[in-house]
Amino acid sequence: MMRVGHGELLLGTGFLGVMTTLYLALNWAPSVSIDAFASPAAQRIFYWHVPSAWAAFIAFSVLFTGSAMWIFKRSPLGWKLHVAGSEASLACGLMTVWSGCVWGAAEWGTPWDWSDVRLNTFGLLTLLALFLVLGRQSQPDGIESRDTFSTFGLYGFILVPITYVATRIWQIRHPGPVVGGGEDSSLSSDMGLVLLIGAISFTILIAGHIVMSAKITEYEQRLEKLQNHIDGGF
Amino acid sequence: MTVAYLGMIFGIGIWTWTVVNRSRTLELRIEALEESLDLKDFDKDILMSKIEESE
Repeated sequence: MMRVGHGELLLGTGFLGVMTTLYLALNWAPSVSIDAFASPAAQRIFYWHVPSAWAAFIAFSVLFTGSAMWIFKRSPLGWKLHVAGSEASLACGLMTVWSGCVWGAAEWGTPWDWSDVRLNTFGLLTLLALFLVLGRQSQPDGIESRDTFSTFGLYGFILVPITYVATRIWQIRHPGPVVGGGEDSSLSSDMGLVLLIGAISFTILIAGHIVMSAKITEYEQRLEKLQNHIDGGF
Repeated sequence: MTVAYLGMIFGIGIWTWTVVNRSRTLELRIEALEESLDLKDFDKDILMSKIEESE
């Protein structure tokens, strides 16, 4: 019988939490004022969009840490974190962009605004994650390829603080911060609770994915070494 | 909206399932390989460290 590891446990708990968030967002969270939004029903996607963006920032931080550990220390753990971070960044980035486009189409009448700094820096971050995941799969594993991808992971992180402060400096199309943004940012307690459950659930889910992805990288390396050893005449 | 939500749930579900499945498949392949080489736990660690040293 298969053992259930920490990664699987985190994934299961996170997935359950995400489903609970979705149920609460659609059935329990209070509606927003019809005067403040063109499409009040679409606003409920916010309970998915914000936690997935939060999880994406965690994943980008893991990617940055792993890339730095590989570049400066040649740490095998660093490379595992780089791989796990890039995959998790891509998944969360796509969820954030997709949910944002759906809301934008309903609220603004257009899914994307090329003049909005927040949208475009986050889009670039997601494209960076896509490049890292696809690039790694198409290149043979080696020191040079790891150095190249880690360099992108390291310097690409500069977009994270820019994305974070973008709506605080330039309010073009994307709404301002709803938490920690001063007097203008406020949520009712019920809305805040659903958002908190969502943030915790997505954090657990992404932690599970990072643990599992690091485990898979370790297995792949172990398997490759064993096979090479057999081929070399064990 | 419903289609968007279903798409995202389906996406997360497929991604999660793929990761778990890949991990279990690799685990089984490693176990089978180590079993076929008749390696005990202690030997496995020594073998791995020797391979790493030789690299």
